[in-house]
Amino acid sequence: MTTKGGQGTRQVSDAAVDSSRATVLHVDMDAFFASVELLEHPELVHRPVIIGHEGGRGVVTSANYPARRFGVRSAMPVSRALRLCPNAVVLPPHYDRYREASETVMGIFRDVTPVVEPLSIDEAFLDVAGAVRLFGPPAGIAAAIRARVLRETGLTCSIGAGASKFMAKLASTRAKPDGLLVVPPEQALAFLHPLPIEALWGVGPATQQSLQRRGIRTVGDLAETPRPVLEGWVGQSAGSRLHDLAWARDPRRVTPHRAEKSIGHENTFGTDIRDEAALRRELLEQAGRVAVRLRRAGYRARTVSLKLRFADFSTITRSHTLAEPTDVARRIHDETCALLTAVRLQGRAVRLLGTRAEQLVPADDDVPGLWSDDEQWRGAESALDRATARFGRDALRPAALIGARQRDRERLVDGEG
Amino acid sequence: MRFHANRDVFSDAVSFAVRLLPQRTTLPILSGVLIETTEGGLTLSSFDYEVSARTQIEAEVLEPGRVLVSGRLLADIANRLPNVPVEVVTDENRVVVSGGSARFTLLSMPVAEYPSLPVVGEPTGVLPAGVFSPAIAQVVVAASRDDVTPVITGVQLEAGEDSLALVATDRYRVAIRAVPWHSERSDGGSALVPARTLQEVGRTFGSTGDVTISITRGGDRELIAFSSEKKTVTSLLIKGNFPPVRRLFPDNVDHFAVIGTAELVEATRRVQLVLEREAALKFTFDADGLGLEAAGGEQAQASERIDAVLAGEPVVVSLKPQFLLDGLSGVHTEFVRISFTKTENPNKPGPVLITGQKSREDTGTEEYRYLLQPNLLLR
Repeated sequence: MTTKGGQGTRQVSDAAVDSSRATVLHVDMDAFFASVELLEHPELVHRPVIIGHEGGRGVVTSANYPARRFGVRSAMPVSRALRLCPNAVVLPPHYDRYREASETVMGIFRDVTPVVEPLSIDEAFLDVAGAVRLFGPPAGIAAAIRARVLRETGLTCSIGAGASKFMAKLASTRAKPDGLLVVPPEQALAFLHPLPIEALWGVGPATQQSLQRRGIRTVGDLAETPRPVLEGWVGQSAGSRLHDLAWARDPRRVTPHRAEKSIGHENTFGTDIRDEAALRRELLEQAGRVAVRLRRAGYRARTVSLKLRFADFSTITRSHTLAEPTDVARRIHDETCALLTAVRLQGRAVRLLGTRAEQLVPADDDVPGLWSDDEQWRGAESALDRATARFGRDALRPAALIGARQRDRERLVDGEG
Repeated sequence: MRFHANRDVFSDAVSFAVRLLPQRTTLPILSGVLIETTEGGLTLSSFDYEVSARTQIEAEVLEPGRVLVSGRLLADIANRLPNVPVEVVTDENRVVVSGGSARFTLLSMPVAEYPSLPVVGEPTGVLPAGVFSPAIAQVVVAASRDDVTPVITGVQLEAGEDSLALVATDRYRVAIRAVPWHSERSDGGSALVPARTLQEVGRTFGSTGDVTISITRGGDRELIAFSSEKKTVTSLLIKGNFPPVRRLFPDNVDHFAVIGTAELVEATRRVQLVLEREAALKFTFDADGLGLEAAGGEQAQASERIDAVLAGEPVVVSLKPQFLLDGLSGVHTEFVRISFTKTENPNKPGPVLITGQKSREDTGTEEYRYLLQPNLLLR
C-alpha cells in the first residue's frame, strides 16, 4: 500500500478539466487500514492513530494523516513511531475488516468497468475507455466512484486520471488525501518535468544518488539527457525505461490479471435488517448487479453463494452448485433466496448480505445444452443491458425494486438523482 | 445353519447380491448379505433401503437357518475358493466358510436388526431379457452422471400396452428406445429408475428368459421391481418430473445424410486421437461425402473423408466425438441417418438426430433415436 501520501504539494483538478483522453484511473484508498479502524472509533479521527501491535517487535501497519505529520511511516517499529509521536493511539489490525472493505470497493470499480487491475488490497488501476460511452468523461466517473466509495464504506480515496498507468499513479499520489487529479495527455509533460526524479517508478536511492551526482534533479533534467548518455549511466534497460517515463511514455495496459475467480456484491446495512422480505429485495438488487457484471465480463457461474453476517459479527456462507452455469439475475436470485430460506433466520438481525457467483467459466466455453432453463431470461436481461446502455441504469428495473428505499446504496453516476 | 453348495453357483449368487450395494453404507448392517435356507436351497439378499437384490440357488441344506455376513468380504472369499463344493456352517456369532483345505471364519451380524426387503407388487408387463438388456445399453449412456440434477440421472421407463419406452438425457443428448412388450394394462404409467441400477439390471439379467417389471405406486414409496425366474432387483424411483424431452425431437426432417455406420465409427475414432479433452470434431457434409476434421491445437491436426449420401444443402456441424460414438453404438444397423434440424435461436445450432437404417434407401427405423446438440462452430 502507498504511504507516501502527504508528501509534496497536494494538487487537485477543477471541474472544467478536459478528461476525455485520461481514461486510465488509479484509485488509492487513503490511509486504508487506519481509516477502516477509525470507522469504529470516530472519536479518534483527528488524533494521531497508528495501526499495529504495541510492544515487542510490532511494526506500523498503517497510520492516519495526523500521525504521518509526525513522520510515522509504514513498516517502522511501533516503538520508534511512538517516540516520534508520543500521543498516538495504537490500535490492533483487523484484516478481515480490511478485506471486506476492499471487496466492497473493488466491487464498485467493477460496476464501472470490467477492466480492473488490483495492485493490492487498497489500490487498483481501472481502464474506463469503454465505460465513457455509458457514464460520461473519466473525471465524472472518478468523482462518482469517490462519492460512492464514501457513501458505501465511509472511506475516502484519491484518484489520479491519465493517459497511462504511470501518469494515473503519479496523479493519485499528488491528489492525496481525498482528492482527484486529472492529467490530460497534453498537460502530462508540464506536470511531469518539474517533479523530482524519485517520483519516477524504479528510481531507488542508488539510482537517485548516481543521477544527482550528475546534476539530474528533476524529471525534466532527465528528459533532456540524451538516451545513450542515460543508458551509459544506469544501464541500457533502466536508462531506456527512465527516458521513456520522463517523456510520459508508458505502454503498459491495464490488465485484469489472473482469471476472475468469482464475482460478488455485498452490502453492509446502515441499520441491521430482520425483515426477510427486505433481505430478498436486497438479494434481487445484488443478483442484478452480479449478473450484469458476469455478462459484461463474458463469464457464467457454476456456483452461487450467499453470505450473511449477523449483528454479533458471526458470518456464514452457503452455496449451491447449478446444473448449468448461469449469468442470469433471475436464476441467481432464485438460488440465493433458496439459500436464505434454508438458513432459517428466525428474526435474527442481519448486518451484511452478499451474493457471489463462483466457479466461473467463459460464456464462450459453455457448451450449449439441448434446452436451457435460463435461455428466455437471458434474452430478457440482455435486452435490459442494451436499454441500460442507452438510457441509463434506472431506465428499466425489476418491479419489486421500483421505489424501494435506497438504503445505504446509491446509483453510480447519477447517485444524487 | 449348515449347507453345502456348488462353488460357482454360490460365488455367482453372492456377487449378484452385493453388486448393487453402494461402496459405503450409512449403517454397517446394510453392507451385509443375508443368507436364508429354503426347501431345496438358499436365498441370498441385500438391501440398503434404496435398492434390493435377491436370488435363489440350489444347495444341500443340512441345518436350516439365517445368517447375515459382510457382503463384499464373502464375495471376495467365494470368488477365490478352490473349485470344490463350499461348506458354510454357523457357530454362535461366527460363520465358517470352507472349500477344500481353505477355511475362513467371519463374524456374523445381528439378523434381527436387518430390514425386511420390499414386497414386489403386481406385474406391469413382461418382455424377453434378450430385448430388454440391449435396449438398456442403448439409452443408459445418455443419462447424466451429475448429481446436481437428480431427475436426469435416471432412465425414464414409459409403459404402454404393447410397448415399453426407455428415455435418458444429460441435457446434451437424448436417447430413446421403444421395445415391444406384453402388458395386461393399457397404461402402466412411467417410472424414473436410477441409471446405475438399470445398467446393472441389464448386465445381470443377461439374454435368457423373461423379465417381469412391476411398478408400484401409492403409499410413501414408489418402487420398481425387475424379476426373472431366480433373480429379483427392486429400486426406489427417483422423485420429480423428467424433462419433457420428446418435444425436442423434430416431426420429420428432409435434410439428412446416410453413412455406413461402421465406417463413421472408425473414422471418428481415428480422427479424434489428436483432440484435446472435451474438444469437438468438425463434420462437413457436402455433395462429395463427409469430411471429418480435428484441430488439436498447435500439436496435431487430422482429417479424413468418407462416403455419405446427402439430401439437402451442405452443412457443417461440430460434435463431441464421444457423444457421437455413444449414439452410434446404439445404432445396430448397417447404415446410420444423421438428420439436421432447424433452430429458432441464431446463437445455437439445431440438434442432429441419429437413427438407424438397414440400407442406403431404407426410410429408417425409429425404434432407437438419439438427439445430439452440436457445439458452437468456432470461426
